Amino acid sequence: MAVFRLGQRWDPLRDLEREVDRLLQSVNLTFHGVRAGRKYPAMNLHESSDAYILTAELPATAPEDLEVTLANGLLTLSGHRRDEEHIAEERFRRQERPQGTWKRSLPVPDRIQEDQLSADFHNGVLVIRLPKAPQEKPRQIPISSN
Amino acid sequence: MSIDPPDRTQHLVPAAQAGDSKSASSERFVFTPPIDIFETSEGLMLRADLPGVSLDSLELQIQDNRLTLFGRVETVLPDDAVPLHCEFEVGDFLRSFILSDEVDYERISARLSHGVLEVELPRATQAEPRRIQVNAD
Repeated sequence: MAVFRLGQRWDPLRDLEREVDRLLQSVNLTFHGVRAGRKYPAMNLHESSDAYILTAELPATAPEDLEVTLANGLLTLSGHRRDEEHIAEERFRRQERPQGTWKRSLPVPDRIQEDQLSADFHNGVLVIRLPKAPQEKPRQIPISSN
Repeated sequence: MSIDPPDRTQHLVPAAQAGDSKSASSERFVFTPPIDIFETSEGLMLRADLPGVSLDSLELQIQDNRLTLFGRVETVLPDDAVPLHCEFEVGDFLRSFILSDEVDYERISARLSHGVLEVELPRATQAEPRRIQVNAD
């Protein structure tokens, strides 16, 4: 806020108004930023002796509404939350559940057997199993010298 | 219908309180699930996201005018799994609602599919106005 102004009537209320406006706008922006920054769905990665296990909570999603693809070391999940019927906004007394379509990609570890990948979807919980590739024996590289 | 204030924070409760029988000493997370409540032609519909809750691990009960849902979530991970990256915690779901008189308690029905609990709360049929005879002494 400018402290000193030439040729202008000092108007504290207008300044205050402007300050509050600015503050509210920044709060709003932060709020949206935080919401957008959070990835959906949230995912956990675990490691067991023979596999990596990815889990995600995806309620209100039917198996046919979910797509899992793997290409170039990138696992892509996409889907949408099922709304059997359109519900008019004014009929809601409370609305807390997220809605809509989503997509998320994540790189998978290098040493996995891509063809052995399996996904299980039960009670709204997705479990993707990425079996580890067997440890390769060190390979001797012949060295030639001229 | 009144609803407990949305409580995004998670609580750690002793396992015994959360109904865990096999490991009484461990603590479990209990979350408040997100819900939708909307009006239908017959009354109200309540939907709650309960990922990981199965039909066997869900308890839905009405005591007096309080509807309580409690869903236990079993881990889907093998015993030797160690976390590498965690974006969400796994825990049970608990939430309760105070039902108003406009709900017909006897006809409440519920179903669970794709990790979503759907509770139908039919409106009670209005009692017919009854004329009361006024007698003079």
